[in-house]
Amino acid sequence: MRAFSFRRGEYLAELDPHERTIISRVIADTSQLLGVPLGRLDEASELEEASSAVGPSMTWSADDVSEPADPALARLLPSASKEDDGVADEFRRLTEADLRSAKAARLRMVFDELRRPGTKIHVPTERAMDWAAALTDVRLVLAERLGIRTDSDAEDVYRLSTMGAEADEDEIREALALLYSALTWLQESLLQVMLPTLPD
Amino acid sequence: MVLATQLPVATPEADIEEGIRPAHDRPWRTIVWNDPVNLMSYVAYVFRSYFGFSAEKANRLMLQVHNEGRSAVSSGTREQMEVDVQAMHSYGLWATLSQDGD
Repeated sequence: MRAFSFRRGEYLAELDPHERTIISRVIADTSQLLGVPLGRLDEASELEEASSAVGPSMTWSADDVSEPADPALARLLPSASKEDDGVADEFRRLTEADLRSAKAARLRMVFDELRRPGTKIHVPTERAMDWAAALTDVRLVLAERLGIRTDSDAEDVYRLSTMGAEADEDEIREALALLYSALTWLQESLLQVMLPTLPD
Repeated sequence: MVLATQLPVATPEADIEEGIRPAHDRPWRTIVWNDPVNLMSYVAYVFRSYFGFSAEKANRLMLQVHNEGRSAVSSGTREQMEVDVQAMHSYGLWATLSQDGD
């Protein structure tokens, strides 16, 4: 993995094939969580689609305006009011479909770039914000799965990703922590090349 | 680090007493809440690019979110705040809208 830099009018990073596969998988998972499967990832997911009654289209209903039960999805589509359910429900009814499709479209864009052959990642400057936002959504989902609720939790995950797991910690958690930290690092590198381009 | 004072968000009517104004006139605000995931650089970037804030103002509000747990980043009609909150949610920031005095 090589950090983003600005080269010849675009942002450029490098991810090896293994990294691309792992990251595109969590991108697909995140899109699936939003009810928009990216489809045709591998044979397993094709089989899953073929046997699914609803097929690869939207798997959620716009009629259901309650806060999502899955905490990771609730983090992608949070409540717009802490004290007024009426305000929160009205907001959700007005915006949720648009938010889901905007987030899914950005994930699809990143997914498509990751599925290209080669190691280089090309991000046109006008798409950089979409990339940063897609990386945020994936990190929000991973963070929820890792139980990151406080800054201290985030530090524990960072420590796990750098120091490795203790004997009593599981390897899946360590792998998730590594992935989370890698995506954090990649996103920060993108922001560091994006920030100087803003007018003051 | 904690900021010494609550920074006021300027609204033209900010100094008018709540009691003499009808509820539907009270302005709404967009509040952005702290979370342990979003990068400080990203939050500052969103504030600058979406709201058009200066680097100084964006960093000040970002630090207020980080240190105090929340910051009011815009105010206006309910409809305007719904647009801003939707944009913040689109960027993965947790934002809420509420009416002044609630």
